[in-house]
Amino acid sequence: MTHPIIRFDHATFGFPGTVALEDISLSIPESEFVGVIGPNGSGKTTLCRAVLGLMAPLSGTLRVLDCACEELRCHHRALIGYLPQKGMLDRNFPVTVLEAVMMGRYGALGLFRRPSGKDRDIARQALTQVGMDHHRDSALGALSGGQQQRVFIARALAQQPRILLLDEPTTGLDLTAQHSVVELIQQLHQELKLTILMITHDINMIRARVDRLVLLKTKLFAAGPPQDVLKPEILSQVYGKELVITDKDFIIVEDYHHHH
Amino acid sequence: MLELLAYDFMQRSLLAAALVGSVCSVIGVFVVLRGLAFAGAGTAHAAFAGVTLAYLLGLPPLSLAIVFGLATVWITGWVEEKGRMKLDVSIGILYTATMALAILFLGLMKTYNPEVYGYLFGSVLSVTTEELLTIGGLSVVVLGTILLLSKELYFIAFDQEMAAASGVPARQIFYLLLTLVALTVVISLKTVGAILVFAMILIPASTAYQLTHSLTQMTLYSMLIGIFCSVTGVLLSYAFDLPSGPSIVLLATSLFFLAVCCSPKRLHRIQTE
Repeated sequence: MTHPIIRFDHATFGFPGTVALEDISLSIPESEFVGVIGPNGSGKTTLCRAVLGLMAPLSGTLRVLDCACEELRCHHRALIGYLPQKGMLDRNFPVTVLEAVMMGRYGALGLFRRPSGKDRDIARQALTQVGMDHHRDSALGALSGGQQQRVFIARALAQQPRILLLDEPTTGLDLTAQHSVVELIQQLHQELKLTILMITHDINMIRARVDRLVLLKTKLFAAGPPQDVLKPEILSQVYGKELVITDKDFIIVEDYHHHH
Repeated sequence: MLELLAYDFMQRSLLAAALVGSVCSVIGVFVVLRGLAFAGAGTAHAAFAGVTLAYLLGLPPLSLAIVFGLATVWITGWVEEKGRMKLDVSIGILYTATMALAILFLGLMKTYNPEVYGYLFGSVLSVTTEELLTIGGLSVVVLGTILLLSKELYFIAFDQEMAAASGVPARQIFYLLLTLVALTVVISLKTVGAILVFAMILIPASTAYQLTHSLTQMTLYSMLIGIFCSVTGVLLSYAFDLPSGPSIVLLATSLFFLAVCCSPKRLHRIQTE
């Protein structure tokens, strides 16, 4: 096993009086593709915020890029490409695709420095990697939901990150766009050898693509290869009556639709 | 019209108007995109309360305007950050409380002071050389800071959390933006007045917003519109003996409605729907 790039050691996160994640111990080695699943309110987004260094552990430790997460500085964060949950993008927000992707360079560049031709080349390359370079001068708001997610993935790639954190990248997209975005993420993992942490509700879509699945419900219920985690006896402990597994091993979680 | 430019007071007024027009319209881009419009309106009233207190105590008016403006804008930012109270409620309270203070201080003055009302309604034609130097100095500070940190300011206007996550010191930049808003309000008090200053921040930027899909173009258009409206507004005000603040703001408002009607974005949306 290679050196872990993210290591939780009995880490608990939350606010005084409310625990969002409890006693998590988990090591993620470099270049692993990890899917994070769990019901609503199970602490998935807290996990993301913690890895980004936006939340310090109440107890235990979390080390990211060999640094305690509460001590992550801007130059560390610049190495973590992050795709937040899809918010409502103001369709009229005046930003072109290339301008939005260039923002991925700003953290790494630091204050007062202007982006150079090299930064522009990196942004163009990121756009090419997600298949959107021909849209570089389009208005971001004029693109479809799936295309916008590709642009935001390019923005994260423009940081030249070592870790890619994706918070429900397929939510709110139509089925074709969902597939194409997940395929793109898998392809980027293979080509760039990035460590990917992908939070998702869609267990069926990612089960064949990830190296490991992490099942959360405030505590860490299971972590391992998908076939070891997706066992009815483990899933039913977390999802309870909301879980249905069909004859073809298709996993349906009832509360999934509450997110749309 | 050209002989007007021979007068010292007219040169000062036009220069003050151009400076205020450019500073307001550039900071306005970030205010509009970051959704801080109402916060700025509250700051303008707080700054006026500072002016009235300064007159009451015999201090330079802009000194306390800065103190009151900064206090209000920082409290507003803190409330938004903590999310403990709805932003419109907290600003509404600060807005009216500082206006009440201003009225109280006016009431405590023994005599009627037309200069104070100049800060409420704007009187660009009476800008003195010292005031022009203050406006110029503060304009250089505000525009210079924006120029140096434009990429960070654009990023937090677009998405502050994403900016923080990618290594931009987003929180510090947000407070810096609020500080620049307060300074801009103070710079503009004498020219357009506390009641109308926020129109000068919002309207040119909102007009530019209608016209382009690019951040850099929006900033450029906003600046050109701001300077044009301020300078033309002053000339109209002199030519037709109108108050200067309303002349500038109503000219900008007319341009805004024209831009809404001709907006390529809106026309494109209508065509695609």
